Amino acid sequence: MIEVQNLRKQFKLTRQQKKEIGKTAGDGTLEAVAGISFMCQPGRVFSLLGPNGAGKTTALRLIATMLKPTAGTILVAGFDTVKQPLEVRRRIGFLTGTTGLYDRLTPNELVRYYANLHNVEKSAFQKRREELFSRLELHSFANRRISKLSTGMKQKVSIVRTIIHDPEVVIFDEPTAGLDVISARSIIELIREFRAKGKTVIFSTHIMGEVSLLSDDLAIIHKGKLCYNGSYSAFVAGMKTKSLEDEFIRFVEEA
Amino acid sequence: MSGLFTIFKKELIDTLRDRRTIIAMVVVPLLIFPLIIGVTTKISISQSQKAQAKTLRVALIGNADARFKERLAARADIHLIANVPEDSARSFIQTDRLDAAFVFMEDFAQQLQNLRAGEIKFYFKSTDDENITKRRLQEIVEKFEEQLLSERFRQLRLDESAIDAVQLTEIDIASVKEKLGKTIGGFLPYIFVIFCFLGSMYPAIDLAAGEKERGTIETLLTAPVSGLEILLGKFGVVVLTGIGSALISIAGLYVGIRQAGEIPPEILDVILGILEVKSILMLLSLLLPLTIFFAGLLLTLSIFAKTFKEAQSIITPVNIIVILPVAIGLIPGITLNTTTAMIPILNVSLATKEIIAGTIETGLLIEVYVSLIILAGLSLLVSSKLFLREDVIFRG
Repeated sequence: MIEVQNLRKQFKLTRQQKKEIGKTAGDGTLEAVAGISFMCQPGRVFSLLGPNGAGKTTALRLIATMLKPTAGTILVAGFDTVKQPLEVRRRIGFLTGTTGLYDRLTPNELVRYYANLHNVEKSAFQKRREELFSRLELHSFANRRISKLSTGMKQKVSIVRTIIHDPEVVIFDEPTAGLDVISARSIIELIREFRAKGKTVIFSTHIMGEVSLLSDDLAIIHKGKLCYNGSYSAFVAGMKTKSLEDEFIRFVEEA
Repeated sequence: MSGLFTIFKKELIDTLRDRRTIIAMVVVPLLIFPLIIGVTTKISISQSQKAQAKTLRVALIGNADARFKERLAARADIHLIANVPEDSARSFIQTDRLDAAFVFMEDFAQQLQNLRAGEIKFYFKSTDDENITKRRLQEIVEKFEEQLLSERFRQLRLDESAIDAVQLTEIDIASVKEKLGKTIGGFLPYIFVIFCFLGSMYPAIDLAAGEKERGTIETLLTAPVSGLEILLGKFGVVVLTGIGSALISIAGLYVGIRQAGEIPPEILDVILGILEVKSILMLLSLLLPLTIFFAGLLLTLSIFAKTFKEAQSIITPVNIIVILPVAIGLIPGITLNTTTAMIPILNVSLATKEIIAGTIETGLLIEVYVSLIILAGLSLLVSSKLFLREDVIFRG
């Protein structure tokens, strides 16, 4: 479960950023997240939808304890992200679209590294690695340097890295960005599996197709504020335009 | 603590697989000294042998003394060139048609007869052949002068020792180790400090700016380890590679000296004695806090950069700042005292000289340690405050 209450995040603008923004720079801060509240339930997929620069990544980074909120609270599996960050980190898996991997390690070494960081017991690790490598067909690449792998393969390694410790909460930040259709589909399937296993899943995207395929709950974020927060079925039922895309644009424009 | 060890282990494996690090940390320090010592010794010996064996073309101009001419003519390695006008001597040597010229003054014989000094002008070019031409001919002139003096003493019926009013017996109490220590000791800090810095540089850039550029820092920040554990894990690897690089450079120096072959055995023994375990351990004890300081400085600068390239451009000028105190340590007259012992890097440079010469004072050495430990502590403190600050990690 993720509970977000009145979450705010302000960034101090650098001199360069102030120059670029010009007069609108105001007091020299940028409010990336401006008082949002939502809840992600176990066994449901929560989609955070928004255009580029809307505040999706900042919101997910706040949930994942990478950033500290300026105001508001976030509870992940009952733990406060500011007061108990290590407890939160033990329970989350975080996957970004930009496959952040160590090129000079092999998938085997990389996965073992993250398992060790999460204190996964040796026997549990071996079982889980075997299961995930088989599921994602990674065995034949397990001892090859990551730099030699294709983008799709790297993303699969990223997935294993994210869930090797079997987290309760999985956070995906635009997980299909830059992937081909087949790789993107495997991620969609994986998210469905997580839901089936009762995990809490939150993912950010700007691809409407993914939203329709996966969402149980949906929030639309624009300029750091939520324009919609509710169930996906309610969103579809209340549509005033013909397509999801048009409806999304309508929400953003009216915000 | 297990998180720290896990990070350290992974970063070490990752770093040792980085080609740039291996080149800067192992290949360059290991090969540079055997190469420099080997190549320069070989070239210098070969040039010197050539200059020694070369037949010198020498002109005798003016009314040359017959005894001097005879001495030159008797030498197989000297070819006398006749009919060179005095005003052409300079240009002939300049254009390599002559190696040297002796111009006898008109009154040379008269002056000798009057028991005065006869003047000979000696033209040569000191920039050629490490001055060997000058030395070879000067030797002949000295023998000629000895001959003339002996003749004078005989003529005056004087004992040759009569002109020696004082007999100076020089007793240098400085041991060969001390003398070499003060010279080689000035050179060693160059190796230590520079390779220590270079060895730390690439890992520090890769483990901080590189991690940011790859986006791996984000995944690391979501793992259940504290920021301090992440920093210390990386810190450990940067310190290890810095010290490793300095030690490898000493090994390279050892191999280079061993291979040189032309160093007199007594000097070789002293040099190898300098590289003994005790001296190395003392130098290492200076290096450890210095490398911790470098690691803190480099990791802090590196984490500010958005990319590997940006970090490189920030850190490269720091290299010069590091070399400067080492260079100051080489200036004659700059010695280890209560003031210089407190100046970072310069104190390592000066203390190294004293350690190698075996003349280090315990009080000053303690002062150097205190200064370095304070500096290392400050560096660690500052980097722990700045490293992993969200406005630094997610800068821009």
